[in-house]
This record gives sequence, structure tokens and C-alpha cells, in this order.
Amino acid sequence: MALFSQTSQQGFLALLWKCHMFWPASRCRQLYVASFSIPIREKINYFSSMTSSSTALPVDPKETDVLPSKKRSEIDCKEGKGWDEETKEMPEGKLHFSSSVGAAKKWSMSRVVPRHRLSNLQPPEKPLQAEEWNKLREEFHSPEIFEEVMLNSMIRCNSPIDVAKSLLSHVAKRNGDIAYNMLVKYLTLCVQQGQVSEIQDVYDIMKVRFKMLESGAYSLLIRGLSNSNQWRMALTVLEEVKKMMIPSRTCYESCIKAASRHQELKLAFELYSEMLAKDVVPTLDVLQSFFDFSRGMKDAELQKELFGILLYLRENQIYPHRTFMRSIKLWFESLPGGNWRGRLTKIKDSGQCPVCSHQLEDSNLSEEEYSHLSERIIRDVIHGTDTFRKTSPEELEAFQTFVENRLPFDIVIDGLNVSHIKPRRMQCENLFDAVNCLAKENARLLVLGRKHMLTNSSNWKREIMKEMQNKAEFFFAENISEDDAFLLYATLRSGKHCRFVTRDFLRDHKACLSDSLTRHLFRKWQRGHQIVFFPSAAGKSIHFLPAFRYDCVVQTTGDTWHIPYKDVFEEKYSYQVPRKWLCVHQK
Amino acid sequence: MLQHSTCLNMQSANMLLRRIVRSSVLPFATQHGMKKDLFPLSRTLSSSLCLKQDKSHEPSEKLDLDEWKKVMKSGLQEEVIEVASEPKELSSLAAARETLEMWRLAGRAVPENISEEQLKTFMECPSKSAKKKYLKYLHLKELHKKNDKRKMEEKRERRLEAQDQDSKPDEIKKSPFLHFWSRTMDKAYNWRAAQSMIFGQPLVFDMSYEKEMSVREVSNTVRQIVMSESSNRKSVDPFHIHFCNFKDDSLYHREFIKNYREAWDKLLITVTDQCYTEIFPKDKLIYLTADSPKVMKTFDHDKIYIVGSMVDRSIKTGVSLARAKRLGLETAALPLEKYLLWNTGAKNLTLDQMMHILLTLKDTADWKKALEFVPKRKCCGFVNKPVKELKKTLDLINTLKLGKGREKAEKQFAKNYPQRYKLKQK
Repeated sequence: MALFSQTSQQGFLALLWKCHMFWPASRCRQLYVASFSIPIREKINYFSSMTSSSTALPVDPKETDVLPSKKRSEIDCKEGKGWDEETKEMPEGKLHFSSSVGAAKKWSMSRVVPRHRLSNLQPPEKPLQAEEWNKLREEFHSPEIFEEVMLNSMIRCNSPIDVAKSLLSHVAKRNGDIAYNMLVKYLTLCVQQGQVSEIQDVYDIMKVRFKMLESGAYSLLIRGLSNSNQWRMALTVLEEVKKMMIPSRTCYESCIKAASRHQELKLAFELYSEMLAKDVVPTLDVLQSFFDFSRGMKDAELQKELFGILLYLRENQIYPHRTFMRSIKLWFESLPGGNWRGRLTKIKDSGQCPVCSHQLEDSNLSEEEYSHLSERIIRDVIHGTDTFRKTSPEELEAFQTFVENRLPFDIVIDGLNVSHIKPRRMQCENLFDAVNCLAKENARLLVLGRKHMLTNSSNWKREIMKEMQNKAEFFFAENISEDDAFLLYATLRSGKHCRFVTRDFLRDHKACLSDSLTRHLFRKWQRGHQIVFFPSAAGKSIHFLPAFRYDCVVQTTGDTWHIPYKDVFEEKYSYQVPRKWLCVHQK
Repeated sequence: MLQHSTCLNMQSANMLLRRIVRSSVLPFATQHGMKKDLFPLSRTLSSSLCLKQDKSHEPSEKLDLDEWKKVMKSGLQEEVIEVASEPKELSSLAAARETLEMWRLAGRAVPENISEEQLKTFMECPSKSAKKKYLKYLHLKELHKKNDKRKMEEKRERRLEAQDQDSKPDEIKKSPFLHFWSRTMDKAYNWRAAQSMIFGQPLVFDMSYEKEMSVREVSNTVRQIVMSESSNRKSVDPFHIHFCNFKDDSLYHREFIKNYREAWDKLLITVTDQCYTEIFPKDKLIYLTADSPKVMKTFDHDKIYIVGSMVDRSIKTGVSLARAKRLGLETAALPLEKYLLWNTGAKNLTLDQMMHILLTLKDTADWKKALEFVPKRKCCGFVNKPVKELKKTLDLINTLKLGKGREKAEKQFAKNYPQRYKLKQK
């Protein structure tokens, strides 16, 4: 990477720390959640990418158009009906499943016993007699939690169910009762192996023995039952959960998938709308399963619902991943009499689709949206809880009058950000190059900086600064003020045509905005107006990447659909946009 | 068996007998809690019954895997009746209590006992994760309490044992010094504090951050201030502590009363609702904040330092700096970067650490000694050279800390860096 060869070690590391890319993931995430209050919706989307089954897909670097077919896992219903060949092709959520079992396992490991001590406990191969269990128990270092640890390791090794049964019988004989957490662990094992009759038995026992169950057991039950031909029972369990709390999205997911698998799409959509009404964010798996199971159906009502899902993707700026995109494509193509045709493509910089030569939506906001966004930037980002945190009232006023007197600008530049592009050169030279590059087209420039740029120093030569000020307008903020917020404001005030230059992702400013609607608006505006740059390897020049002219969301004109998709199932930052598109049009 | 049938009515006892005959195991009603004392008895009984029963049973060495189900179901007959007789509709509080109980059984981090007040707090938590966190907090609190109690009891037992051993009355040793009781010490400390009230250098705690904090953060803040006050009292030359912007009957006030009880009114500090700018000349005030661009070089004995009494668990940058900016005060930050190889963690220190550092500076003017109070996990060591010269070492440490080679790091970096920048770079 060119960027690397240029940076010294120290700069590189500083950058790493800045980007949080280098901490152990778990900690990073913790810190993230703890300290930067990620907007709820985004967090959930991010997690949806973690739990969805498509993580199991191999990364496909050569972009071959083969649908990876997976062996059907043992979890799939053994006695389920209504499976057609195509659904077999669906990568069924084995990984997802095990991950959720993992979650159940995590909380069931309540007593803190160090992992290394647990790992050496191997569950037996076949059922044991009571005496044998007793013997094993006495050999174990802390007999009082022997059963718990044993069951955990059985879950981990996916032992035969009979072994677990013999352990439970042993416990029942000894104590005349089996503790709830043991039952839950046993249930986990049954669900893992799809033992439907056992799941039902455990459920009956639990219902009689306990007044109510808790969320973990319920979600296990729902998952276990929904993968069987007893899936309607899962729905009754779901009703029970609703009485006490809002069911989790995985519960809904299992039920919806079960319903749509058995061609009860109406029921599935009822559950889906109920889920949305409760503000539970659906996983991408749910959405994908709708497309998978309604393939080839001729039903206007159903079509409308599925178009609704596509619009949901649009509104929430969600990009489907490759397999999901493929499901959408196949669904379109299977519509009887629709004559839809899907093609994968890349959109030109001009915003024209090479397949159907349709011009994509403009990335510009409406007047109303502009004024709303600039108001919000002032209210939430600049003022926030205390105007003095990022600036001071006098400075803000001075800046506002400065901007109003010189409107409109064509390009607003974050001076300090640009000046750091090449660490080996003087900062003012970097800025000078950038200003020269951008000033060529007779554009009106505004450079935002801080006052320390005016004091003559090794990095800021007064002559060069003087020369620059002939080519562009400059505004210098106080050294302890935030200049980014000013950058946003000046760009927004200048109107549609104005762009801004910075390498910053503006995540922290987006996070200041109070509601998700405005945040989405902000991202849209940022995509269409931010010019990013990078140093070219040779010489002094700087490459600027123009802002997107078209808007990167799912979009339709009625007879065409354009859907951007992610290549692999990766964690996606909200400032990145996919470059690949699915174009669906009617012949 | 006799006492058993006395607790059950006749009918169920009969049922019980019949069931013993049917299955090869003797069931128990668990809630009677008599499994243990009945155990040996029942064992013999059930085996003797088994011998005479129908031969359709599997031989005893063959395992009956579904035995546990029978046991579970049989022990439940009486309970079912109980449950059925209970009213179906639970109040929301009772339902929450029930849910917690189930979570506890499932082995989650949930407290055993929970008061009404805590339950209400739990139900008011806005999200699932908030609920989880709150429960975990209560659970840990409970564990600590239990452990403390256990230790106390052990201590008492040890003491009693010791007393038993040397029960002989000891001769009173003569010594030229009186035994210094802690009361005497307290008196001495208070004299010193009183002296500081008249002649000491003021140190201001700015109590205007209540709005920025959650209840938990406020209580943490107060606990930290209590600790700093006590360490100030015990120092050789205490500060004259001022609590400024202190509103009566505020959350701060209530927490202080909780901590100090009746000692609150006897504290040798100045508590006022005035702002520090009204009490002291502005040019003498220095607001200490980690966000300050200015770094403190030396401790100035005729300046008045202000410490913001705020705990920000989620680091809110620039809150105290904004206060100082608004009032046009001078600000300063501790020279942590200059003297310490910073390792990890935020540069905002707790109030008691701050107090220790200021006291040490006041007495010795030795940065090395003063910065001993910065937690050891946050820094790798003290340096006399400016840290910039040690950058190389630091980078090495960091690279080692990452535990992988540079190439790997670079690869990862390249992977994570947004696609956009990699375009057109040939």
C-alpha cells in the first residue's frame, strides 16, 4: 500500500490506535458500546451481521457465480415436510445456530470456573450406571458442580442424548429432583440434536414444575420446536413469551422461518409486522427466508409485501450480502409472467447503470432536508449540551457572519486534516498542494484551520500561508475548538453543489445527532458531498476521489430495481458503501 | 415412612404406594424437604417392593434412561394442585420477581434477595442490557457482602479461640508512653485541619456536575471525595477544602449525608452554594482538567486549584474545560505525558488520586513521588527524559504488546482500511 510506505512507524501506530483497529476485538467492542453510544439501530445491524448464517459462507475472491451449497446440518428438521430441492440449497444456519447455543452456554456457565479446568472433563461415550457416575463425581475436583460441568462438556462435544439421560436419571435418583439449570442444559443438548420428542417432554416437565420459565429456556424451546413438524407448538410458546416480555429477534426469526418453510407465508408476514411494530429489528436471515420461500408464487398480495421488504432495506440503508442478493434475484426471476431479469453490475461514476442504462437517483437532498440537517448540525453537533465544549458563542457567531458574507463556496477544506497527508513534508506544503489542486477549476475555496497555523513555525511558514490566502478564504478557529463541525456547517450552508474535503469519517459527529432519521440523512449527504484524497506514490500530487453523484441505496422505478450489495459478510462501517449492484429490470 | 404419611393425607399416601409399586424408584415430594432423612429407609423399602413386582421390568443392570422423567413428574402431583389454586394473574412486580427467580435458577448473575426498591429500579431500566448490568451489579454486591460477613465471623472465632488459650490475666506492662488511641489521633488531625481552615491553601471542589451524571456516578463521586477528604485530613499540611456550587438537598448532599451521617456537620471544610469566582479572585484560579491544552509545570502555592467533582464512566470530553472556558479561567492538566510512559486507560484520574498527587506536590514538589499515585496499570514507568525521545522504545513495546509481527499488523490494517483509498493505487 502506498499509504504505508510513506508513513513512518510511529505515524502508523498512532493511526492504528486512532482507528481502534488493533485492540482485541472483544475489548474494542466493549469500549465501543461503552464509550461512544452507538445508535441502537446501527448496533443491531452490526450484530445481525454477526449472527446471520451467511457467515458460514466461504469468502469468494474470484467472484464466481456459484451458490455455495452446504450439507444440510443435523439441525434441520428430520421429519419436516415441504422441503423442495431449492431450499436444500439454502445454507441453513448451522453456524448461526451453534452461535446461539453458545450464548445459552455462556450464561449457563454461571459459576466461574476457569476454562482450562473444564476442558479436561471428557463426557463418557455411552450411558453409565449410577455407581459409575458416582465414581466419576468423586474423582472430580469439586463434586458439587460436577453435573453442571459434565453437561456443559456434553453440549460442547455434542454427546449422544442417552448419556445425558443416564446422568439425569442418576441425579434424579440421588436428589429426587433435577435443578432447573440442568434441565435447560439438557434442553440445549436436545435442541442441538433436533430431538423433538425429548424437547416436548422437557417442556411438559418444566411447565408442571415451574410457574413460568425464563427467556433462555423459551428461546431454546422455540428454536427446537420450530425446526420440527411440531412447529406450531413453537408459536404457542411464543405467545407465552409475549405475556411476559418482548420476544427476542431470534425467537421471531425461528417462528417466521418455520412458518414460511411450511408455506404459511401469511402467518409469517403477520409475525414479521408484529415484530416491526415492537421495534424488534429483523435479522437479514428473516428477510432472506421470505424471498427464498415465496419463490415462484403468483400472489399479488405477497409481491407487495416483498417489495415492502425491499423498501425497508432502502429506508434503513441496509445493504444485503451476496447470498441474500441472490435470493432476491432468483425470486424476481421466478415471478410468473413478470419477465424480470437480474444482472450483476458495477455502476459508472456518472451514475448510469451499464445494463439497463438507467440513471440512478441523485445523491442530493431536498431543500427541506438540507435545512433540517443544517439545523440539526448546529443544534446537536455544534451546541450539544454546552456550546463551550466545542467552541464558544462568540466564535460561532463570528464564523456564521464570516460564512454568510462570503457564500457560496464550492469546496470546503479541512486544512489540518489535509496538511497531514504526507508526514515527511511540511504541513503547510501539503496544504498548499491540495489548495493548488482544487483551485484549478476556478472554484471558490474555504479552508478551515486553527490559529496556531498563523504563528510562524517549522511546519507553518508564514510566506506560504500568505500565498495560500490569495487563493482561498481562510477561517481560523481557536486552538481548542472543534473545526469539523464548522466544516459541516459551511458546506451545508453553501448548498447542493458544495463539497468538502477531509479524510475523517465523521463518525463522532454522526453519533451526536439525536435520531436515526437525521443520521441516515447525514450519511446520505456525506456520501454525496465528501471528497476523499490519498497521496500518490510518486511525486507531489494528491489524488482526489470525487464524491458519489448517485445515491447508494436500494431504489426502484417500478419496472427496474437497483440493489447495492456487499460482497462478503463482513462488518460494514456505516461510511463505506458497496460498489456492486444487482440490476433487475423487466424485459 | 410413618412420619411421611403423617404429613400427607391418606389418599396421596396410597397413591404413593401404588406408584412405588409401578416404578422402580421411590419418588418424593421435594417441597417436604425430607428426602435426606428418609433416604436410607426408602432405599430398602423400594428394593424390597421391586423384588415382588411384575416381571415385565427390565433387568436391573439395564439402564432405564427415562427414569428421571418419571421422578420429576411423580414428585409434582401435589404441586400441580397448589399451582392451580393460585391466582393466574400476577402483578407486574410479582412477575418480575418470578422471572428473576427463574434466571437465578438458570444460573445467571442475579441476586438472591432483592428489595422492592431495587425491583422497581430494575423494571425501570430502559433496555435488556441495562437490566442485565443492573442485576449483575446487585449480584456482585451481594457476593461481597456475604464474603465480608463470612470473614468477620471467622475473625471472631479466631479471637475467641485466642482468648481461650491465654485466659491468664496478663501483667500490665509499664511504659513511659501512653497508648495512642485513635481518638487522640483524630483530635490531632482535627487540630491540623482547623489550622488549615485559617491558614491553609484553598482547594476547590466544583460541585456543579450533578446534571451530567447518573445516580450511580454521583454516588461514586461522593465516595471518592470522602476518601480525598480523609487523606487530606491526615496529611502534614492539609488544604483548606471548599465545596463550591453546592446546592442544599441536592443528590450530592443526600449522598454525603449517607456517607458521613452526623459527622457531616462537624467536617472542617467550607461548603457553599456560591461559585468559586465569587469567593476568590479570578486570576488566582486554575481549573484542573485532563482536556486542558496547558500542562502544569510546577505546583504554585499561591494559586487556587479547582477540581471538578465528576465521575464520567463514559468519558465525556470537554465538560469541565467548557466550564472553565465559560468563566474565562486558566486551565491546566497534569504532565502525565511528560513524565510517564503511558500504557493504557484514560488520563482522567479519580478524585482521591488527584488529592494525593496535589498533596505530595505541595509537600515535596517532586513529580516522581507525586505521580506514584497514578494507577500502575495505566503507565509503564516514570521517565526523566521527555517521552518523545523514547518513542522508539514505546513503539517497540506496542508492537510487542500486539503480539504479532508488523507484517501481520499491516495486513490487518490494509484489510480494515476502507476500500476507497485502495483504488487507483498501482
